[in-house]
Amino acid sequence: MSEAGHTTRIPLETRVLEVNDTIAAANRAELARRGIFSVDIIGAPGSGKTALLEATLRALAARPHPADRREAADRRYSAVLVGDLTTRRDADRLSRWCDKVVQISTGQGCHLEANQVRDAMAGLDLETVDLLFIENVGNLICPVGFDLGQNAKVGVFSLTEGDDKAAKHPYLVEAADVILLNKIDLLPHLTFDLEVFHADVRLLNPNVPVLEVSATTGQGFGEWLAWLEREFAGNAGARAG
Amino acid sequence: MIGPVHEFSIAEALATQVATYAPATGRIRIVEIRVGALRGLETESLAMCWQAVTGGTPLDGSTLEVEQLPWTLDCGMCGRTWTSPVPFVTCECGNESPAPTAGDELNLVAISYDDAPNKFGDAPNELGVAADEPAVAAQESAIKEPSA
Repeated sequence: MSEAGHTTRIPLETRVLEVNDTIAAANRAELARRGIFSVDIIGAPGSGKTALLEATLRALAARPHPADRREAADRRYSAVLVGDLTTRRDADRLSRWCDKVVQISTGQGCHLEANQVRDAMAGLDLETVDLLFIENVGNLICPVGFDLGQNAKVGVFSLTEGDDKAAKHPYLVEAADVILLNKIDLLPHLTFDLEVFHADVRLLNPNVPVLEVSATTGQGFGEWLAWLEREFAGNAGARAG
Repeated sequence: MIGPVHEFSIAEALATQVATYAPATGRIRIVEIRVGALRGLETESLAMCWQAVTGGTPLDGSTLEVEQLPWTLDCGMCGRTWTSPVPFVTCECGNESPAPTAGDELNLVAISYDDAPNKFGDAPNELGVAADEPAVAAQESAIKEPSA
């Protein structure tokens, strides 16, 4: 502290991320206006986010193609935003199953921010879209605290990361609306204690559904797609009400 | 990536926000923030990143003060409630899994600035400029004095 001069303290009590949050709120309102249900998919690099999305889009695309969206209650039109540091690889893989894929190159960024999502949405024709999947940058920490305007957060963990990862990432577990435990097909080959993982999740977030899935074998996809359908319908009900 | 990547992006966002509150004269000396336990932000890493982010800017030399809000633990077996810096703690009654809860606050609480001499040893005058040259100081004095 200086010896001369007068110090003035100004109380502020503002949210550090208020600029991001304001844009996120605008994104949320825009998606609501269009009747789109959106998810922010967060998981470590290699947890299988892209593989899960590929399998999900493939399952959604396999439904019959109606001429008019309104005639098929179970047909869902998807769009995908994928955040990647530098490559286009994720976007290229997903483009095979969905014709509305936007790559967001974050450069050094370890998480997506609301302005990036806003700009990506502006580049898409969202007229016929029901579901917006946002694949965040591979990272279990940074993305959790940055609101993008999504309806729900999907926390992706995988068996190969170890059964202690829920305990080590309490923010994601607490904030998640659903948790996918991926690569469940590898259970016989690993010393992953399912009970430890589930108990840690229950302690941090007693009500969050934990779905054991495999993007490669399709195990657990019935429940995962059913969760998406329920949340989409619930969102529609909230909009109509 | 290695190092405190998470703290770095928060320090960047904070510096941008603090800069919007910069006073017309004087320098910001202290920046106070409050952080909820869910955020998992380490005070030391934040301070380090703050130095790196503000170096060479008008915020250079300012101190980041971090108030860390703790976890609240709720023992379902004996009913005891207490606070802790970590979420997984065994209760005195023997319960190994008391329920942890915490907030994710990330708030700019206050900034403190003063009009004390800057690092060059010169006090800013009313124009907000350090008079480091006698000739300049004389010129400014002449401007300030009322006309005869």
